[in-house]
Amino acid sequence: MITINEIIAGAKKREVIAIFLFAILACAAMFLDKPRGVPIYVASIAAIAIAAVFIKSDSFRVAILVAIVLLSAFSIASNGVKFGIDFSGGVRIPVLLEKSVDSTTMEEMVATIKTRAASFGLSEVKVRPIGDSEIYVEMPQSSPQLVSDVENLLSRQGVYRGIVDGKVAVKGEEIYSGTIMKIPSQYLSGADWGVSFTVTQSGAQRFAGVAKGKGNYPLYMFLDRPSDAIVILSEKELMADAASKSRVVPISRARALQLASSSLALEGDNITVYIEEAVSQDFSLKPSTNKTRAIVSANSSLAPKLRAAGFTVVEKTDAEMTPKYSVSPENPTSDAVTVWSAVGLMSAPRLVPSVTEGIPNFSYTINGPAEGATATLKAADALKKERELESLLKGGALPVQISLGSKTVIPAPLGEEFLRLSLIGLVFALLAISLMVSIRYRHMQIIVPMIFISLAELVILLAILGSFTIDLAGMAGILAAIGVGVDSQIVVTDELLKKEGEMSKRLEKAFAIITTSVTVAVVAMLPLLFLSGLVEIIGFATATVLGSLLGLFISRPAYAVIAEHLFE
Amino acid sequence: MSLSMPNPYSGNYKLLVAVPLLLVLVSLFFIPQIQLGVDFKGGTLATMQASSPVDADSLKAALTEKGYTVSSVKSLSNPKGYEVEVEIERDDSLTRAETLKSTFFEKIEQVSLLESDVTVSNASAESVAKYAAARQEVDALSDELFAIALLPKNSSSITSSNELKQEVGAAYRQITDGYSSKLSATLSSLVNYESASFNEVSASLSAKFIDKALMVVVYSVILVSVVVFIIFRTFVPSLAVLLGAACDVLIALGAMGLFGIPLTLASFAALIMLVGFSLDTDVLLTMRVIKRREGTPRERAYDAMKTGMTMSMALMLAFACLFILASVTHINTYYEISAVALAGLLGDLIATWLLNGVIVLWYLEHGGQTGDSQKPFLSSIFSS
Repeated sequence: MITINEIIAGAKKREVIAIFLFAILACAAMFLDKPRGVPIYVASIAAIAIAAVFIKSDSFRVAILVAIVLLSAFSIASNGVKFGIDFSGGVRIPVLLEKSVDSTTMEEMVATIKTRAASFGLSEVKVRPIGDSEIYVEMPQSSPQLVSDVENLLSRQGVYRGIVDGKVAVKGEEIYSGTIMKIPSQYLSGADWGVSFTVTQSGAQRFAGVAKGKGNYPLYMFLDRPSDAIVILSEKELMADAASKSRVVPISRARALQLASSSLALEGDNITVYIEEAVSQDFSLKPSTNKTRAIVSANSSLAPKLRAAGFTVVEKTDAEMTPKYSVSPENPTSDAVTVWSAVGLMSAPRLVPSVTEGIPNFSYTINGPAEGATATLKAADALKKERELESLLKGGALPVQISLGSKTVIPAPLGEEFLRLSLIGLVFALLAISLMVSIRYRHMQIIVPMIFISLAELVILLAILGSFTIDLAGMAGILAAIGVGVDSQIVVTDELLKKEGEMSKRLEKAFAIITTSVTVAVVAMLPLLFLSGLVEIIGFATATVLGSLLGLFISRPAYAVIAEHLFE
Repeated sequence: MSLSMPNPYSGNYKLLVAVPLLLVLVSLFFIPQIQLGVDFKGGTLATMQASSPVDADSLKAALTEKGYTVSSVKSLSNPKGYEVEVEIERDDSLTRAETLKSTFFEKIEQVSLLESDVTVSNASAESVAKYAAARQEVDALSDELFAIALLPKNSSSITSSNELKQEVGAAYRQITDGYSSKLSATLSSLVNYESASFNEVSASLSAKFIDKALMVVVYSVILVSVVVFIIFRTFVPSLAVLLGAACDVLIALGAMGLFGIPLTLASFAALIMLVGFSLDTDVLLTMRVIKRREGTPRERAYDAMKTGMTMSMALMLAFACLFILASVTHINTYYEISAVALAGLLGDLIATWLLNGVIVLWYLEHGGQTGDSQKPFLSSIFSS
């Protein structure tokens, strides 16, 4: 039997105190840094699991289980459990990539889709990569309009405009998209990267006319430049990059404002720059015929006033609102704002004097330097810049062709009902299994720890899977995992109940069986989990595999310790 | 659940093999009758939530009359009222449009390149001819697509390839949007529903699902076989374990054909999981019988059976709960997973104890070696 004294003696061991201290610290970190609660939780679980492989004292094994259960319960309370749209209601649209991509391209795709969703005003859209060839776009609410908005934003092509000194020099539709390509390194002549493209007859003429005599001027490259707009930025946003410490030549406030204004100049559709502090002192802005849209930081207090004045307010993040400058003391004509996401300014290369003589020219190249401390980093940066420019010239096309998968729509009340019933199902499964082991073993000392450990596993699984998203398949997997969890405890119990042989020998035999069957079961699921990218069922695979592994490394060793003491 | 059943291995146990073999034969008969779900076949699955019951037969007749090929209509009741599930086969023109679109987008970049050559070379005869030939090809594709979209457009009137690209993209969107909105309009005129969900699987998507599923099967089989052979390191027991798993999956597949459980991504996942479950008991049996010395092999097999039966029972209870949940909510994912798992676990009882058990015992009683001295391969890595 386990006595109170034994428990106290166990609790006083150094490694046991350490693990509980660690768990308490992790809980505190989760509580204090809520936005990063999930990564903290997952990392601490991983850390404890690793410790479990190396430290093998009896009391430590039980302590690990208790610590993880506490951590998980705290995570459920603090981070919450996230349910998929099957349970919360909403729409899900899978985006299928034509081919598998590396993680950098995937990040790029997800970021692009997020940005597009934000520009459509769909801030609640969740975009997450699934495997290497699929992206899920989910919205918590559903309406046919919303669905078609998302479909539009995914299939949409942006509008590219190249502006020189307030006039449109290059239009995206005048570029032959098939000719946009990277320049092979041997033809780069000094630059780190380059992209070439060919324009149509009318495009060549337009460029020749507009660029004539504008040698060294910046070519402002816009993607979806807003029309009929004004932009209101704070002093801080205006100067964040201009006065940054890493800048060799600081830019004065007057110069910064001048550069910002000239970058937004366009004949007939200027975007006027206002300074937030000046505007809010004496608010008198009113929309006029070709100034109906106001672009402003989401943190600004001006947004409601602008709305009240009749503007269509477009809110951007502080980072998007901050213009980035490039200046050189030798050549002030080429000074420019190079990146300003809030208005769609993506890049501003300098016009080489040879293309500004007024002679129509069909083929152009844009090249530039790359940054990076090592040759590998530099090459990666060059590749990234090349790809960005290519995508920009193609109207913001995604780096890989996409197609939309089958969309799923779940009405919210039905989803909530499904969740309620599924949770009841979990409780019933637990009860049914408890009843079965009670009938089979008929000893409280066996039944109670068995049920306790099944319950503990359920809490851990809910916390871990709920840190990501529990969908229908995931819920089915959690239910299955309860059964799988009890299975290994049955193997241990039956082995311990045998009369012959030493206790430790018998335990070793039970573990040999469990280790083998868990290994085989996990191996069978691995291709489904990691290679298939079949998102619809990955939740199920994850739950069953996680259930088996949790059992093998954490709850079974603890159960064995408890059972061993109970049988003695 | 007192385990007072007789030891099945006490008499001429070899005859027991007849049961699983017979069952596998019956299963083989039913396997061709397995229906493919929308995931693998392509098509549209519309799920509607209604407040009043819907007559499935008349709905099917009405939809067929409107020109849809209806695979199935199911009318069920769920916690929030009534649910109607309509499965419609992929429309031929839609499949064709999809092929046209992807072929077009594969070729258009090259065409754009040739068009730029015409401009750059100042319309040299060679470049013009090359461009014209390439355009002819994509024009044919676009015109067919415009015709399907019922658009009064002609590619010959669109001079630039950039413009053609946009028009084709718009035409394809019009086709798919038109199909979806026509279908939902038809359904809403026939069924008075509160909400509807459409699960559309295009031909290319279902082809991708099939590819991935086959890949998963191949890799899982290879991995599992390798791991089993590494663990047991003797041929007959390894083969017996794998045979038991194969037999189990076949029985589950047979049950799918017999009871009309469609093969979808969910039931596919359940089948893969069954491999793991089935190996669970197979491993228990084989390790207890081959790697131990206490008692006779027959006693050890019987002993393992008692533990194994309890394990299977626990799993079955869990899936029975899921099955009940499925019959209350009519969630297809739950139904497909639980039904396949239950059938497979039943099959596992038969495959493990009547097939695998017999093979292992026969192997031992005909000169096979017990291997107690040998420490199991993986336990040296993990356990104390």
